Amino acid sequence: MTRTARLLLLGPYVLLLAVFFTAPIMLLLAISVSRQSFGQMDWTFTLHHYVRFFSDAYYVGVLGDTLMLGVIVTAVSLLLGYPLAYHLAVTRSRWKPLLIVFILSPLLVGIVIRCYGWMILLADRGLINATLAQHGWITKPLPLMYNKFGVTIALVHVFLPFMVLSLTGVLKRIDPQLVEASKTLGASPRRAFFEVTLPLSLPGILAGSLLVFSLAISSFVVPILLGGFKVHVLPMVVYEQVLSVFDWPFGAANAFVLLVISVALIAVYIKVTERALRGIV
Amino acid sequence: MILRISVGLVYAFLLLPMVIVVLAAFNAGNYFTFPPQGFSLKWFANFFNRREFMQALWLSTEVAFWTALVSAVIGTAASIALVRGRFRGRDMLNAFVTSPLLLPQILTGVALLQFYTLLNMHASYGALLIGHIVVTTPYVIRTVTATLTHFDIALEEAAQSLGAHPVRAFFEVTLGVIKPGVVAGAIFAFAISFDNFTLSLFLTSSKLTPLPIELFAYLKYSFDPTAAAVSAFAIGVALVLVLGIARFMGLEEFTGF
Repeated sequence: MTRTARLLLLGPYVLLLAVFFTAPIMLLLAISVSRQSFGQMDWTFTLHHYVRFFSDAYYVGVLGDTLMLGVIVTAVSLLLGYPLAYHLAVTRSRWKPLLIVFILSPLLVGIVIRCYGWMILLADRGLINATLAQHGWITKPLPLMYNKFGVTIALVHVFLPFMVLSLTGVLKRIDPQLVEASKTLGASPRRAFFEVTLPLSLPGILAGSLLVFSLAISSFVVPILLGGFKVHVLPMVVYEQVLSVFDWPFGAANAFVLLVISVALIAVYIKVTERALRGIV
Repeated sequence: MILRISVGLVYAFLLLPMVIVVLAAFNAGNYFTFPPQGFSLKWFANFFNRREFMQALWLSTEVAFWTALVSAVIGTAASIALVRGRFRGRDMLNAFVTSPLLLPQILTGVALLQFYTLLNMHASYGALLIGHIVVTTPYVIRTVTATLTHFDIALEEAAQSLGAHPVRAFFEVTLGVIKPGVVAGAIFAFAISFDNFTLSLFLTSSKLTPLPIELFAYLKYSFDPTAAAVSAFAIGVALVLVLGIARFMGLEEFTGF
C-alpha cells in the first residue's frame, strides 16, 4: 500500500477526530485553567478551579460517592455477569443466537427508555409497590427509587451487557481440555472451576470491571432519572456547572478530574485487552 | 441446575424493563398495574398525533441515516489502511481512532459544546451530525477490521494479475467479501446514533431535539404511558436492527466471541 493511498484512506476520519475530538478536549483543558469574568472567558492561567474542587468538602464527597457507586455497580455486574458469560461460553444450545440477542438488545435500546422501564417498576406508585400494597403486605411504599438503591439497580442493568461480552470473549478462548485434564487428575468440578477456569478468566474479569467502572462513574442519565437529584455524582456536577450555572471553567475542571480517572482506567484496559481486542467491546 | 436457574434469573433481569415498557404501552390505564387493565392503542395514537414527537422521530432517523452512511465510508477506509498498511505508529493510530469509544460521552459532549460555542456553531444540524459521526465510526472500524483480518489478500492480487485495475479489484473483490462487516457496522452506527442521549444533550436546542431528548423532556413533566408508546416503538426499531446485524454478519462474529 502506497503512502498516498494510506493518506487518502486514513485522512478523512483522522482529520475529523483531530478537529472535532482532540481539539475540543485540549480546549476543555485550557478552559479549566482559565478565568471567567461576567460570563466571558478571560484567558489567563489559574489553578483556582482545581483548588476549589479539592478543598471543598462537598465536591470531594461527591467524588468519593461517585467512585463508591462505581465499585458497587462493578461488583454486582461481575457477580451477575459471570454465570451468564460462563453459560454462554460453554453452551451448545440451539437457542444460543437468541441468548446473544437478549444480551445485545438492551445495548441498542436507549438509556432513557431503560430508565423509564425501571421507573415504572420501582416508583412509589409503581408496579412493585402497587402489587405489594394490593395484597396488603405493605402499608406505605418501599423506598425503591430516588435513592442509591434505584440508581444501582438501573446502572447494573445498563452496564451488565458490557461485562458479559468482555467475560465471554475470554472464557471462550480457554481450552476445554485443560478443565478435562484437571478432572481426569481427580479434581471435583468445583475445584476445576476455582483452580483452572477462574484464574484463566482473570484478564476478562479485569477488562470487564475496568470498562464497567469507567462507564458507571461517568453516567449521569441514570442518577438524574432514578436518583431524582437526591443522589449526587460527578457527571451531574459537570452538567449543572456547564449548562445551568454557566461556570465553564469550574465545569471543565470537574470534567477533567473525571477524564483523568477514565483515561488512567482505559490505559490499563488497553494493556489488558491488547491481545484480545476484537469484536465490539 | 443452580447455574441454569441463576442464568435464567439474570436474563429475566436484563429483559424485564423492556418487557414492562412494551406492556405499559398497550395497557389502557394511566398507571401500569398487574394484571393489565385491558388493551388499548391510545398511547400510540397520542405519540403519532403529537407534533413534537413526530418531528423528533424524523430528525433522529435522518441524523442516524447520515451518520451510518458517512461513518461506514470513512470507517471502512480507515480500517483498510490500518489492517493492510505496515507503517510506524500504526498501533498508536489504532488506539487513536478507537478512542472516542472509550472516553465517556459526557466528556466528549461537554468538550464539543464549548468548542462549538466558541466557533458559533452551537446547536446546528451539522454540529450534531459531526458529533454522532465521531462516536459511531470506531464501531464500524471494529466490525470491518474483524472481517478484513480473515480476508485473503491473494484474491485481490489474483484479480489484479488478471488485468483488473487495483481500484476495480478492490470494489469488485474485497468490498464484496468484507460487506458483512461494513453493513453490520453501519447498522450499529445507525442504532447508536438513533438512541444517543448523552452526546445529543449537549448539542441540541429547543428547535433541534432528537427523539431520546424529547422523551427525556417529556418524562420530566409527565408520567403518562405516551412515553411508553414512544419507547416501545424505539425498542421495535432496536430489535429490527439486531436482526439486521445477525443476518449480515452473524452475532458471534459481531460480538467477537
